Amino acid sequence: MKEEDKILVLGIGNIGRQDDGLGWLFIDYLDTLKFGNFDLEYRYQLQIEDAELLSNYKTVIFVDATKENTKEGFYYRTCETSNNHSFSTHELRPETVLFLANSLYQQRPRAFILGIEGFSWNLDIGLSKAAAFNLDKAKQFLFEKIVEYDDIGMVSND
Amino acid sequence: MNMNKIVIDPVTRVEGHGKVTIHLDEQNKVKESFFHTVEFRGFERFIQGHPYWEAPVLVQRLCGICPVSHHLAAAKAIDQIVGLEPEELSLPAQKIRKLLHFGQIFQSHALHFFYLASPDLLFGFDAAPSKRNVVGVAIEYPELAKKGILMRKFGQEIIKMIAGKRIHGISTTPGGVQKKVSVKERDYFLNGKDIPSIDTMIEWSREIIDFIKIYHSNNKKWLDTFAEYPSGHLGLVDKETGFLELYDGNLRAIDAYGNTTLDDINNDDYQHYFYEGVEKWSYLKFPYIKNLGREKGWNRVGPLARLNVIDGISSSHAQIEWLEFKAASQGKTNNKTMYSHWARLIEILHCAEMMKSLLEDDDILGNDLIRRGERRNEGIGIIEAPRGTLIHHYEVDNKDRITRCNLIVSTTHNNEPMNQAVNWVANNVLNGKPKITEGMLNQVEVAIRAYDPCLSCATHAMGQMPLEISLYDHAGKIIDERRR
Repeated sequence: MKEEDKILVLGIGNIGRQDDGLGWLFIDYLDTLKFGNFDLEYRYQLQIEDAELLSNYKTVIFVDATKENTKEGFYYRTCETSNNHSFSTHELRPETVLFLANSLYQQRPRAFILGIEGFSWNLDIGLSKAAAFNLDKAKQFLFEKIVEYDDIGMVSND
Repeated sequence: MNMNKIVIDPVTRVEGHGKVTIHLDEQNKVKESFFHTVEFRGFERFIQGHPYWEAPVLVQRLCGICPVSHHLAAAKAIDQIVGLEPEELSLPAQKIRKLLHFGQIFQSHALHFFYLASPDLLFGFDAAPSKRNVVGVAIEYPELAKKGILMRKFGQEIIKMIAGKRIHGISTTPGGVQKKVSVKERDYFLNGKDIPSIDTMIEWSREIIDFIKIYHSNNKKWLDTFAEYPSGHLGLVDKETGFLELYDGNLRAIDAYGNTTLDDINNDDYQHYFYEGVEKWSYLKFPYIKNLGREKGWNRVGPLARLNVIDGISSSHAQIEWLEFKAASQGKTNNKTMYSHWARLIEILHCAEMMKSLLEDDDILGNDLIRRGERRNEGIGIIEAPRGTLIHHYEVDNKDRITRCNLIVSTTHNNEPMNQAVNWVANNVLNGKPKITEGMLNQVEVAIRAYDPCLSCATHAMGQMPLEISLYDHAGKIIDERRR
């Protein structure tokens, strides 16, 4: 498989903040599957240099915890580029990083956001029971997409 | 007297959550101003009861930006607990740690300059906030942005090579390091095949210094006056030469006029010279030199302070740049806040030159990685983190548990200087103005941002990281507010 045909999966969050670790735990799960076509990365937050990383891939998935009230415990959406920078410190949104990949490197990978609903955000290690349940549902969802369709972009749960 | 109050909460493009309040009287004259740090975490307490060897790993969690600095300061302290002074570690261990440290400062300084500070310099105070940020830089100055990305990546790749990952990796062990550098790993940084080489990093560091020098010559008036105020300056210096030392040296402080106030003291003696004051309105403490008192004993730390206290720089290109930097203030102590950016870029060049020197040194390939001495119950580690002098101090019991921890982080030293900076802008920019514009408020942030404060480290805080601004009238009512 050519490097550019691989899928980059970025897990965003902090394992030391309870459900904020959902993104990382999802990456841990993908790691156990040992699929050769995934490159996995952990992030506390996205940075401008991630634009350079993204520019080497055709497909990218951002996985993060969300406070959004989701119907199924998670959402899986197409991520569009946006230059609407939040203006806060150094943290960047997935849409902005995509925008920068296009603006700086003229690359526009297709991108998706897997947002897994969390509930507890205190300084502690370990998911809440409800977040762990949602994580399992998100795992099953993506696994089925990979196995049944062999294409993570074919189906959205929106 | 009735007073108005301006609050900037949170302050943007710094690490952590800060808040500024400026109190006005009925004529909109500034009465007083404060830079608050409103978060609290209490890392010093959390760490008690843990085995001492866990400290370098646990304290990294203080920060996602400079975890390596906390890791190394704690490691130096723990070295003492296993009976070793810094110079008693093996040469491979010393040099690998220094390479890690230079990589960390290089990437942190690149982050600050290219992503946080450059929007103000490139677009000006009054540019629209939607433009005055890193996305704006990427759109209008793509080549500059790409160099910033690759410089930061280079530093992070150095960290990844030594510590296993870019953030919160583990490289040290009590008395040394866990792994050596391989020839293949080293060549990755030297040959330029996969990433731009260390020689390119030096070249780009020099280019960006040329940029800031031109910027200074074109904007001399405001850079020379904006947030200029007298202060002490504190930093480590080489024990023998008095030159810039970032990993292990003696503590030196001078006053605003260059007079020595702390004369190259040994790290172990720091607690005999420093006190930490507290104020009701901030979780951040106020360190000062004891014999000078709270009013006169405070110091700036970080790039500007370091370049003020040293006698020279051991790397050749950075030394030349330092001489030019000193000449810009006629060889006198430089108390001009905005010169921090120039100083920071000279340190970027120094780190690049030092990384080249270490990467070409076969000692980093050596196998003698860990040593042991006679167990002690106390350890102190002091390093120069990107933002300034960082002190870690641990006491342990005979069961190897940490019983006391004291951390004085760089931004804590800079607490009083940042308050002085806010006060300067309040009095010189906002004072008596009938209307406060966004550009005026941004100048408060520009003054704070020059210190590259890491408030989450300083208070060991949890929570999100936005920065805010608000404005109160004489009756205590908010009349303007900015939340970003």
